[in-house]
Amino acid sequence: MSFDSTYTRELPLVPERSSFKEIDDVIFRPVEEAPTRKWFIAITISSLALMIGAVALANTFYFGIGTWGNNSTVGWGFGIVNFVFWIGIGHAGTLISAILYLFRQRWRTGIARFAEAMTIFAVITAGIFPVIHTGRPWLAAYLIPYPNQNSIWVNFNSPLLWDVFAVSTYFTISFVFWSVGLIPDIAAMRDRASGIKKRIYTVLSLGWRNSNRHWQHYERAYLILAGLSTPLVLSVHTIVSFDFAVAILPGWHTTIFPPYFVAGAIFSGFGMVATVLIILRKVYDMEHIITLDHLEKMCKILLATGSMVGYAYCMEFFMAWYSGYIFEQFVFINRAFGPYAWAYWTMFSCNVIFPQLFWFKKIRRNIPIMMLLVILVNVGMWFERFVIVVTSLHRDFLPSSWAMFYPTWTDLALLLGSFGFFFTCVLLFVKVLPSISLAELKAVTENAQPTHKHHH
Amino acid sequence: MEFHNKALPGKVSRIGFGLLITGLILMVAAFALDYRRAMFDYLTMFMWLLSLGLGSLGLIALEYISGATWSTPFRRVSEFLASLLPVMFLLVIPVVVGMKELFVWTDPQVVKSDAVLQGKEPYLNTTFFIARAAICLLIWVVFYFFLVRNSQKQDSESIPQYTKSNIRLSAIFTPIFMVTLTIIAIDFMMSLFPHWYSTIYGVYYFSGTLVAAYSALTLISVLLKEGNYLSSRINNDHFYSMGMLMFAFNIFWAYIAFSQLLLQWYADIPEETFWYIIIWEHSWKVVSIALFLVHFAIPFLVLMPRSVKTNLKKLKFMAIWMLVAHYLDLYWLIMPAYDHHSAVFGWQEIGFPLFAVGVVVVIFKMKARKTNIIPVGDPKLESGFNFHL
Repeated sequence: MSFDSTYTRELPLVPERSSFKEIDDVIFRPVEEAPTRKWFIAITISSLALMIGAVALANTFYFGIGTWGNNSTVGWGFGIVNFVFWIGIGHAGTLISAILYLFRQRWRTGIARFAEAMTIFAVITAGIFPVIHTGRPWLAAYLIPYPNQNSIWVNFNSPLLWDVFAVSTYFTISFVFWSVGLIPDIAAMRDRASGIKKRIYTVLSLGWRNSNRHWQHYERAYLILAGLSTPLVLSVHTIVSFDFAVAILPGWHTTIFPPYFVAGAIFSGFGMVATVLIILRKVYDMEHIITLDHLEKMCKILLATGSMVGYAYCMEFFMAWYSGYIFEQFVFINRAFGPYAWAYWTMFSCNVIFPQLFWFKKIRRNIPIMMLLVILVNVGMWFERFVIVVTSLHRDFLPSSWAMFYPTWTDLALLLGSFGFFFTCVLLFVKVLPSISLAELKAVTENAQPTHKHHH
Repeated sequence: MEFHNKALPGKVSRIGFGLLITGLILMVAAFALDYRRAMFDYLTMFMWLLSLGLGSLGLIALEYISGATWSTPFRRVSEFLASLLPVMFLLVIPVVVGMKELFVWTDPQVVKSDAVLQGKEPYLNTTFFIARAAICLLIWVVFYFFLVRNSQKQDSESIPQYTKSNIRLSAIFTPIFMVTLTIIAIDFMMSLFPHWYSTIYGVYYFSGTLVAAYSALTLISVLLKEGNYLSSRINNDHFYSMGMLMFAFNIFWAYIAFSQLLLQWYADIPEETFWYIIIWEHSWKVVSIALFLVHFAIPFLVLMPRSVKTNLKKLKFMAIWMLVAHYLDLYWLIMPAYDHHSAVFGWQEIGFPLFAVGVVVVIFKMKARKTNIIPVGDPKLESGFNFHL
């Protein structure tokens, strides 16, 4: 909670006492008005990037994954890096909607919907990569264990398979959570819309009439879904970390990986949510709804999770030395001072050093600096996965097979395409659905709730 | 005001001193009978007390930086428990004196014949060990001193400036807390098996300390509430929140423990698995299974329903349970270094926890005599009393 300088009065989450109608108008404006020129420019860029990615994808399908930079030493390249990166981006949504909800952090209301939507798009983006990395994506159905004539079964001992279960469960629950949360808002849009729009929103609102009984069931369902999502926030990236950590490869096998990956995922997720929100609130005049206080709190979470990631980096380094295991020691020396030192220090400075600036309130409330720092967080977290995947592999136990990893144009185009896909989805979402949870936001405006206070 | 300093009954001191003296006598006897075994028991007890003291200081910092108000009426409980930290300076002396019994790496003969230990010598050597312990303890005591001084000054002066300074101090303390706690966990427990290593170890001990600190906070708060020492405005929602955090951090502990186990079991590297082999053979297997049941499975099921978290009797029982579970956890971490083959348990092991509980009770009573049990001058107190879910 934020307080005034006497620490007795809680600062309101929506500072100017906007009327409910004004909140409706502001939140529905992007949906109801014709798209602006800025929106068209944005979607042109993002769909162009998406098209470039599509060309690279076609190239991959036609020629196979030999078009990628992977080689026999570095068998995992951009495919896995991008997968882990995008899965991580998807973590802010569930953290905000599930864990912050259970901890009764009411400031989450302004940003929850948007972060949840980003979760869904990020998980879809992430899911593309392992499927195409298999080389034969049309056989992906074999990832699902089902009895078949050939008695071909998946390998239940492999964390890669656990990933299939974890990610699909995560996607399902997140999607249900997001859809349930949308129902009252879609109903509100239905009431304002006309024509074909009204028909569509009518179907999507599932007959919501704001009755007391509806709200009761809704709140109960929301609480249960929050409870179900909470373990998922931890489990998904934990299992992603198992992909690496169950191996005996130095640099991958380390016990801190599960909580470290989860912290990193939340860090990168908040980095991305903050990046997009800073732009969104400016473009749609939502600065009085997604306030500086919201952004400041996000900066604090970035500082906390960034420092956790820093703790893990240092712990790994220390334990590599402490273990007395020369291969482990070599991997870490090689990471920090070998041919990929530039990637390591990019990662370290973007994730650990620069976010330390968030210790200062002035910086947490300075939009341009914040924007720069959160973009660096995105860069740093992508490089973290690059460092983990590539530097652990490229110099293996046999010096004669040491190799470097050079991305091809297909790799780079697929990475660009993933951003294109993600941002196209985000832009379409902003256009057709309310990007802020209307019902929840109204509930935290001043004097919206019956108060227990002031009975001295 | 209704909650203004009502003295705790004299019974508390009698119980405290009774436990302390009984424990002390048993401890002395244990040391006389088997010095080495008693040293390991002592270390277990030391780490348990440290969990309470340091964990409580962590909770205080957490309250300030997160801007929580619901826990403000109970912050004194954590402050009194954190006053164990200065006492730890005395209690650490036997550990340092008995180092040679505890840590094999202190023996130059052993190190000479062991290449791995030679590699670790720059870190694992007596001088540096003592220096690290002293620095960590000193840092904790300094932060304890300033945080608690500000908080207590506020009782009479009730100005918000103290809250502001404490928020700042807490923010600085948090990263230091994590680093120092990790150092102590590695030094005092992980280095009992100097060949074994695990990067998650600091986080593991951290999760245990928070469980212990929340359990102690819950237990004492319920007792104070039952004896009418807290305000009548403290309601079930407050206790529900404590139970919830106890439950949440217990799951976190299980998650960390499981992560370490699964990764080391799956990778199956001899450098790491030997430790799990020790605790999975002979009678240690029983302790390992018991730890899973006592620390995780049973509390997980019991604490899940809301009705348990709002029932003070049940909550009190579970808080005691979790404190015992944390003791068991430390026993499981430390005692295998004493005997690889069998989990020893006899009358010698009884005296140490009695002494530890005695220390906590006596210190709590001493602190409560001089200071308000509720931080009456804290500006967030009113909002804390008004807390409703």
